[in-house]
Amino acid sequence: MADNWDSEPTIRTVLQRVLDNADSRTPRRPRSSGAGAQRTLLTTSSSRRLSSRTKTSAKQRSHGVRSIGRLAHIQVIGNLKEQTPRTLVENILITAPKSSILTPEAMVKPVPALQVVQPSRRESSQGSLELQLPELEPPTTLAAGLPASDRKKQRLRLSVFQQEVDQGLPHLQEHPENADAPSLTSSFNLTFATPLKPQSVRRPGLARRPPRPRAIDVGALLQDLQDNSLALAPPGDSLKTPIANLPSDTVLEDTQPFSQPLVGCSPSVHRSLPNPFPTGTEDAERTTGDRTQSSGPGLQNHKVMEAEESQETMETEEPEGSSEDENTSDRPASPQLASSTPRFLQAKRLHSILEPAPPPDVAVLPSETREPVSARLTPRPRTAGSRPRQDSYKAGLNHYAKLFSFYAKMPMERKAFEMVEKCLDKYFQHLCNDLEVFAAHAGRKTVRPEDLELLMRRQGLITDQVSLYVLVERHLPLEYRQLLIPCAFSGNSVFPVQ
Amino acid sequence: MALSTTVSQRKQIKRKAPRGFLKRVFKQRKPHLRLESRGDLLVHLNCLLFVHRLAEESRANACEDKCGVINKDHVLAAAKVILKKSRG
Repeated sequence: MADNWDSEPTIRTVLQRVLDNADSRTPRRPRSSGAGAQRTLLTTSSSRRLSSRTKTSAKQRSHGVRSIGRLAHIQVIGNLKEQTPRTLVENILITAPKSSILTPEAMVKPVPALQVVQPSRRESSQGSLELQLPELEPPTTLAAGLPASDRKKQRLRLSVFQQEVDQGLPHLQEHPENADAPSLTSSFNLTFATPLKPQSVRRPGLARRPPRPRAIDVGALLQDLQDNSLALAPPGDSLKTPIANLPSDTVLEDTQPFSQPLVGCSPSVHRSLPNPFPTGTEDAERTTGDRTQSSGPGLQNHKVMEAEESQETMETEEPEGSSEDENTSDRPASPQLASSTPRFLQAKRLHSILEPAPPPDVAVLPSETREPVSARLTPRPRTAGSRPRQDSYKAGLNHYAKLFSFYAKMPMERKAFEMVEKCLDKYFQHLCNDLEVFAAHAGRKTVRPEDLELLMRRQGLITDQVSLYVLVERHLPLEYRQLLIPCAFSGNSVFPVQ
Repeated sequence: MALSTTVSQRKQIKRKAPRGFLKRVFKQRKPHLRLESRGDLLVHLNCLLFVHRLAEESRANACEDKCGVINKDHVLAAAKVILKKSRG
């Protein structure tokens, strides 16, 4: 017994010893766990025919069979009634039967044979692990006998598997002494004899999958880094960074789990990148650092600089201010334009607020890449400049025109659609004029919400029956409602401030 | 305590208001004026209501003509009426 252990002082043997010692004290629930054990055994051994028989036999024979009970304990893989450390350890030991999965056919024969020996085994060992060789012997005898007592087939199956695979038949036959070999736990010891054996089968339940998508990580990361080197350069606005990274937005969205929160590029890049690609972040940082520091391709440098500049401009001015810049400067080069429109489109897809960003990008870019593109700039100063503005304006109108088609609930012609856009344009003109008049009437240069309310009252939208807040509640989403309608909070405070 | 004056960027608001677009349009037309932060939300509300009324009117026009599709003329006629109403 002791020799056995000393010869194989693996963790498993130690654990098994602990378990056996513990088991001797608490042979509980032989029946219920027995059934469960047999079920689990079945799954491991993959021979279902015996299951029914073993179940019935288990119920009959489960009484007083400590070995069975122990096996049941051990094999309560699916039975989570008791999640003690002991049961977990037992489960660990069970899940790592090296030979159980390998030779399912061999199991069938020795199982009935084993069951013959089972009754003899019953009262045997609680804590003592007998010699491996003697333990191996009973299965062989059982295999030779092949009686039809399938009651403990499941239990024996495993042991036989282990034995067969580990030692081979001749080995088993060498020691026909142990008639009362210990219980199944001892049979599990057989596996301990050859711990080196099937590495492949080891602990399927606990196997940790290696982080497989490594190749993707690196590739996607590199690509992201190429485009997002700008994002890393300035620490600032999440709003700004996506602008510069617009060409790579598609890539970003593909690689990262959330597409919408790409608004904050630099924080999100860092945040989301670590989540799926924990290993790649270091590479990312290294490569980005290289990029930003080293000379790298000229375009990337330009991109970085342009991004920084654009972001600085954005930070200093309002978005519409930068759009004014773009209007006044108006020096888009065709390549920048070409890039700006797809960028713009991607921005629109991401975040409508980013629309003003591409034009400033375009404005900043020429300043940076003046030398190479100066030749291209001169032939078309004006026509290209007005195009992005037109596009963005059109896009905004499109937004409302879509709402029109939604409200109408009827199919529309394309011409009708364009008509709607024209009407919206006219409406905006009227709106701005009215607001200007109202603000001037109040002696202000800033248009306040009160002016808007007055306008709506004059339009007939707000009446004595219908107040502004009612309309706000009806038509605006919650986040805007919270901003518009004053609400009392704790501490005698009202938000928004009146 | 009190909420922030801006909407968190990470929120996915359905039917978002194109606040940047509205602000830019206003600035382009009236560069000497300023628009408040909450004002553009109300402008958006106004646009929604305008479009709503326009759609209702055009749909009524189309149904009057017993036409299953909204035509350009329907929209034109509706726009005339609604723009007059929204003159303020």
